[in-house]
Amino acid sequence: MIQGVGIGLRSCHYQEILNTQPNIPWFEVLSDNYMHSQGQHLDYLDKIRQYYPVTLHGVGMSLGSTDPLNRDYLNSLKRLADWLEPAYISDHLAWISINGNYLNELMPLPYTEETLKHLVQRIQQVQEILGQRILIENPATYLTFKHSTLSEWEFICELLEQADCYLLLDVNNIYVSAINCQFNPLDYLNTLPANRVKQIHLAGYEEYPNYLLDTHGHRVHQPVWQLYKKALNYFGAVPTLIEWDTDIPELDILRAEARIAEELQQSMVWN
Amino acid sequence: MELRQLQQDFYQAIFEADTSQALSQQYLNLSENFTVYRNSILGILTRTLESIYPVCYRLVGDKFFTATARVYIDRYPSVSPDLGTYGHAFAEFLSQFEPAAQLPYLPDLARLEWHWHCVFHGEITNTLDYQALGKIPQEQWGEIIFDLPQNSILLSSIYPIHRIWQVNQPDYQTDELVNLDEGGSHIFLWRDNYDMRMDLPTPAEWQLLQAFQTKNQLEIICENLATVEPCIDVAALLPRFVQRGWIVDFSI
Repeated sequence: MIQGVGIGLRSCHYQEILNTQPNIPWFEVLSDNYMHSQGQHLDYLDKIRQYYPVTLHGVGMSLGSTDPLNRDYLNSLKRLADWLEPAYISDHLAWISINGNYLNELMPLPYTEETLKHLVQRIQQVQEILGQRILIENPATYLTFKHSTLSEWEFICELLEQADCYLLLDVNNIYVSAINCQFNPLDYLNTLPANRVKQIHLAGYEEYPNYLLDTHGHRVHQPVWQLYKKALNYFGAVPTLIEWDTDIPELDILRAEARIAEELQQSMVWN
Repeated sequence: MELRQLQQDFYQAIFEADTSQALSQQYLNLSENFTVYRNSILGILTRTLESIYPVCYRLVGDKFFTATARVYIDRYPSVSPDLGTYGHAFAEFLSQFEPAAQLPYLPDLARLEWHWHCVFHGEITNTLDYQALGKIPQEQWGEIIFDLPQNSILLSSIYPIHRIWQVNQPDYQTDELVNLDEGGSHIFLWRDNYDMRMDLPTPAEWQLLQAFQTKNQLEIICENLATVEPCIDVAALLPRFVQRGWIVDFSI
């Protein structure tokens, strides 16, 4: 079990974490960085996991792809998970590969009955291989498909129910997608089943003239904090993570962001 | 399956810009944002190459490297969710990439950087069991097969790539120039626990390292070397190899 506000584990912080053992309730580990390497990263991770609970978060499952599932990838992930015993394993509502070629970036999906059926089957297979329910993260989107028949939130609700999986609710992604694709983010939050929301992600975006870009390279923006408060209202004090992937700052900055989230969680408890 | 066709069309439009209009008309709202995905993918793959080939990047500069990466990405799609495997053919590609012909050492340098990357992420090396080795009776020494670190590579070049690599490291202090005529490189690249080692064997050491790669028995190695390089003193070299950690295991 994890609770409180965790931080994404990044290699530039390994030594400081081991030296100072900061009061951070848990770390999210990027599974793809540890599945394929036998380098010193694994040694650091082995030491850090002795002090902190961890979750595993990845980008490589390609759940939405119409290629066969990558069994080698899933077997590697299973080996890592068996060793690490993470509280949760998560990946994205996206596809990253087709015809054996990888884009190594999260690609959007049309929200149709065909996609839903396909994803339900794939997630069930993955859960069978991993021997546990996984968390699916809602994507940051920049366009929509003409032939989508469901909204993203309707699609996710159906997916969670039919595949019997959980949601990693990325509040920043909801805000970014809401601005880019012009929907009301509260419609999104309103619809989601609270019992399936097991983790929340918070991160910073970048503003461009015609869209917001989910870069994970900034502090959490005010509108996202506002939306996070709403999410806490709907779903309670769900374990939350501060994500930062580009221009990664010192650990203190991440901890300061985590403290804001913690205070919001605590204020919800007292109200 | 409509989803499959969409994904195939989407993939094609990422790399072939002239097909993105047809994709947009058929499938997309907010199609002007399609470039967000294209830019992100090309950025990720280019940054992956930059991170694996930092010296090549530094030598040719950002603009040239990015343009080179773009051509490479078009010719060599990523075929794995593991970005650590991307760029394996970059050295071979550079050797035939006409715009880079003015830097003839660049492919060999890329080869060195690729293997550095692989050894860095590869398996940890065993430590030689000295006691077990010491127990082998002298009459059986000729039957011993010595193992170099599994996670190691012997590299050679007609260019001084080790020096070019060295003077282009971020912590290298002087603006030293490398003379391409100063001779080639024989490099033994391996990892001692988590420390990367780029050793420069002498010609005799190089011969013996290559011989150990054949996995032949010591006796056969000595016989073969005696015919091609009679002056190599294997008995003198062996303790040096052991001391340096170049030999990590043996079998008999």
